[in-house]
Amino acid sequence: MTQAVVTSGSSELVPSPGHLGSGHDTNTGVSNAKLGIWLFISSEALFFGAFISTYFLYRGRDTQFLKGPTPDKLLNIPFTSVTSFILLMSSLTMVLALAAIQRGDHRRLRIWLLATCIFGATFVGGQVYEFTEFYRHGLHLGTNMFGTTFFVLTGLHGAHVTMGIIWLLLVWGRSMQGRLPSEKSEAVEIAGLYWHFVDIVWIFIFTAIYLIPTH
Amino acid sequence: MTDSTELVTRDDAGLPAAGAIDELAHVGDPYPVEEHAHPGPRQYVLIAVVLVILTGIEVAASYLDGHINSNVLILILASMASIKFVLVAAWYMHMKMDAPLFRRLFTGGILLACFVYGILMLFFASTVLQS
Repeated sequence: MTQAVVTSGSSELVPSPGHLGSGHDTNTGVSNAKLGIWLFISSEALFFGAFISTYFLYRGRDTQFLKGPTPDKLLNIPFTSVTSFILLMSSLTMVLALAAIQRGDHRRLRIWLLATCIFGATFVGGQVYEFTEFYRHGLHLGTNMFGTTFFVLTGLHGAHVTMGIIWLLLVWGRSMQGRLPSEKSEAVEIAGLYWHFVDIVWIFIFTAIYLIPTH
Repeated sequence: MTDSTELVTRDDAGLPAAGAIDELAHVGDPYPVEEHAHPGPRQYVLIAVVLVILTGIEVAASYLDGHINSNVLILILASMASIKFVLVAAWYMHMKMDAPLFRRLFTGGILLACFVYGILMLFFASTVLQS
């Protein structure tokens, strides 16, 4: 016969099943590094939320003192669609890099990491070209509310992509030096989580700024 | 740890009964860990194809501006962006397979952002920008 009893004290404790087989000797049963990056990503959602909502708040509301070119005259949807496609593809190469290190294929890991960096750099290059074009057409940070919200939002996103490229290059460098064995694949996974989040943010920025009609 | 109390099913000899640990899998553990294997490259490529198709539909839909109701257009575009978001988060960020704690953290942040900025936008639109 079995019975349910309430016991207390260390001699009676049964190990928490949540920790069995998790592979992480932490209070939560999950990796602290992964927990940290998810917390950071969660806070970044609030960070970008502030700028996206500000963009929507001032969208088309400064008509009485509008000066300089308007969004519909400046935004180049075909061009930005191509750069968005490139950023989406960088997410694919990133996740392929992770799959490669998890099966111990370090050569492919380095190829896919480098491909991700090249795609990311192409995206940032496209953004620099777009900013330059807008500037030449008379849209500056202080020209109108569109200029302010557009440059701040897309500029901050571009800065995040640039940080991601630097991070991935560091991971690639570690792999080149042979300091990234398959057991440390979490380093690639964490960099990848950041990269995919940056991609997710662009999905919404692209829709908000370029695709949703301004009138 | 020494002061903690647990409900344990025991047999006559006072030992944890067979399967007791499985029974307790979700008792008193706020962070149940259920990690599954990640998908393979083929699934990742498949998701990328879907993402590209959705982006193509999005861009094509944006050229319908002026031909269909703008509210309908916004609804279509927002839905497409949301589907892309879910696909990237679930498959590429492994939220579908990783520990539920990560999913809760991320969705918590997103929901908090929607709540805070939703209220902010309503307040600004009704007061500050009207004045």
